[in-house]
Amino acid sequence: METAINRKKYRQTISRFQSLIALFILCFVISLLSDKFLTATNIWNVMRQISVNICISVGMTLVVLTAGIDLSVGSILALCGAITAGLLKNGIEIPSHNLYIGFTIFGAIITGLLGGSLLGWFNGWAITKFKVPPFAATLAMLTIARGLTMLWTKGFPISNLGEKFASLGTGWFLGIPSPVWISGIIVFIAIIITNKTKLGRYIYAIGGNESAATLSGINIKKIKIAVYTIAGALAAVGGILVTSRLDAAQPNAGTGYELDSIAAVVIGGTSLSGGRGSVMGTVLGAVIIGVLNNGLVLLNVSPFWQQVVKGFVILIAVVIDKANAKE
Amino acid sequence: MKIAKYIISIVVMIVVAYNAVFFKKLDEVKASRTTTAFNAAQYAQTFWNTKLAANLDKATDITKLLTMLSKDPAKTFETYSHALGIGNLRCFLVKGKGVIASINEDDISVLPDSSKQAVTLATEYIFGNAVRDATGLININEFTNTMDFNNVSAELNKIIRQNVLPSFKQQAKKGSVIEFIGAVELNKEHLDFSHVEIVPMKIEIDE
Repeated sequence: METAINRKKYRQTISRFQSLIALFILCFVISLLSDKFLTATNIWNVMRQISVNICISVGMTLVVLTAGIDLSVGSILALCGAITAGLLKNGIEIPSHNLYIGFTIFGAIITGLLGGSLLGWFNGWAITKFKVPPFAATLAMLTIARGLTMLWTKGFPISNLGEKFASLGTGWFLGIPSPVWISGIIVFIAIIITNKTKLGRYIYAIGGNESAATLSGINIKKIKIAVYTIAGALAAVGGILVTSRLDAAQPNAGTGYELDSIAAVVIGGTSLSGGRGSVMGTVLGAVIIGVLNNGLVLLNVSPFWQQVVKGFVILIAVVIDKANAKE
Repeated sequence: MKIAKYIISIVVMIVVAYNAVFFKKLDEVKASRTTTAFNAAQYAQTFWNTKLAANLDKATDITKLLTMLSKDPAKTFETYSHALGIGNLRCFLVKGKGVIASINEDDISVLPDSSKQAVTLATEYIFGNAVRDATGLININEFTNTMDFNNVSAELNKIIRQNVLPSFKQQAKKGSVIEFIGAVELNKEHLDFSHVEIVPMKIEIDE
């Protein structure tokens, strides 16, 4: 009897730290196979790359915790990056009045963030108002936002945005890359929201049992709209970081980012059926995905095989999640 | 209480808007843009006429290069190639003399002297960064953004399409002996000698 309890406790401990264990094993194996992996340059480079995914994945975690999904984050990222870059570079021209409205870096970033929030709000509104499945509503937004990006950029990159703006994605603060600080602050706020606020408790409640949450008086619509709005805003943060880092807004930026963020969420232990998971788990998931991507590149694995490997890692994570849920 | 909230919101919005946008006359902005923009075409033309022309004599003979690559690829890549980053694609500045073996729709096949291995000279689709990177004379750090850097490649390729190829394509005949200098991009990990395509920078027909 005691052995069975001990075994269960042991399994629970393993399950709790499974992402961390997976990360350690991954780092250990890659460092054995590539001497470039554990260099400071490479580690900071990986951290910079992961930062964008962390921003998006934190928003995705909140969405998935409500048993939803957001497939539009990659396109919202591209559109908001393009809006920010476009306003910063070209401003708004009103030839009829010989007027040029220029945007400061602050103004362009605020507008980009507002754009992301608005698109996220629209996702939430469509899902709650018309009872459209999150999958379908955000899939539609994926196409809408991508189309708007193409219209805004005319299919060309918007580049040469200035050193000050570029420092947001490429700069350092206290010896740590700026994007790492930004994603760190976002993670910190998200942890506070999910663990210490009413909004956080409502998010878990909706994902755990929506009917029960409705009966207990939670305004489901309001919470869901808030969650999708936050996800949109965080995708915009990702877009601004990518644009700043490349010093250019690419019309096809963010393609496939939704998959990376969903992978980070799932690998981090958040249940796709909602109500279970954590922001910290997602951060670990994003780090695993980032390290895996970096490792495969360092080991010279073909990009086609990289996709196959990533797919299998996600599948394994989902299978483990299902097994944990049964226990 | 509600009124206070509204007032605070309005004040915040005004402060944000004041720091977010500024207004100028459109014609003044347009005038300043034309003077500050990077001119890739001008940069490419200057590079072509000065730096590139002065360094063409540093090109490695293609037959010699292919022989060295087959014997000691690592050392040959290290000694003769240039590249932007740490990737496997690296560029060589090459020269050669040989007989035109065939003239095709998009390229010509040349059999260099003392070699059984034909090489291809691109004559239709001139793209990529081989010309820009082969000499190693253009440093990415000179550029404020990658678009300008990439535009230099596009402009160099345009010079080849407009100034190098038209007259050559008119005169080229099968069996003619030509001398060429060009750039070639090779993959360090997957060397394929069966299809070596050179982007020509200078071609002269001897006979």
